[in-house]
Amino acid sequence: VIAAAQLRNALPHRYPMLLVDRVTTDAGCGELTAIKAVTCNEPWYADIPDELGEEAYDYPAVLVLESWCQAAGVLAAQAAARGSRVMLFGGVSNVRFSGRVRPGDTLEHRVRQLLALDSTAVFEGECLVGPQLVMTVGRLVIASRPQAELRDQVAMARAGADLDG
Amino acid sequence: VTAVAAAGRPSPLRAGFEVTRRDRWHATVTMTVRPDEPVFAGHYPAFPILPGVCVIEHIRLGALATIPAAGPGWDMTEIGRARFLGPVFPGDRLTTDLDWTPGDGCWWCAATAATQHGIAAKVKLGFAGRDQP
Repeated sequence: VIAAAQLRNALPHRYPMLLVDRVTTDAGCGELTAIKAVTCNEPWYADIPDELGEEAYDYPAVLVLESWCQAAGVLAAQAAARGSRVMLFGGVSNVRFSGRVRPGDTLEHRVRQLLALDSTAVFEGECLVGPQLVMTVGRLVIASRPQAELRDQVAMARAGADLDG
Repeated sequence: VTAVAAAGRPSPLRAGFEVTRRDRWHATVTMTVRPDEPVFAGHYPAFPILPGVCVIEHIRLGALATIPAAGPGWDMTEIGRARFLGPVFPGDRLTTDLDWTPGDGCWWCAATAATQHGIAAKVKLGFAGRDQP
């Protein structure tokens, strides 16, 4: 079991974007199960008018995906040295959303690592709420890059824009 | 159009967007990435980058505002593919071209999102009727 304090060592994400509460099973062979409890205290619900019905509380599908990707990120962090590296969502394909998620639900992410290299890892898996499948992920690529490399990239882009302008 | 109004649902994005071009099969939507978006506090502290899923959310919201299908009740049910090609930072202007294709009981939206620095993402999203509660 990896709980909240240890997750902060494994992931660079913080409130309100740290969307994994606990890793419940880590078989140590590239598979992992993690949970995230959805609550109406998350900031995405701050602006929902009182007069709307229950459907106004559907959890954003992209955050179900983000949460699942962070569970995959725990596996990626085990495979790559961290330090001052930033974890980037490189690409994703064949993601299907098949059920709604609302406050009070607990997401159960099942993640399987298909490939792990020094700075890139590939995953597949699914997310359930109880017995209900709510999302399947065909393929996720996570890349880790040094922060300095990203800063250089944006500095060069901005310098180029200045020259163009 | 504000994010909540566009989707009628909660969204990780606070910023609204503008539809700047639209015909039956194509549209362009733009947004300025607000530095006070809640996601930046935690993604990442001292190094804010717009999460890739928020680029997808921007495209989803723009798609819902421009889908050629009649009537409400559509939503994203599939991400066929999404490739993230460049970072998006606070204050960037995000401009996204959307191309629609009808499918079998669904609609496909192919989108290219770019900032002033270059292409940020190429995404293909599937939309179908939202299940009733």
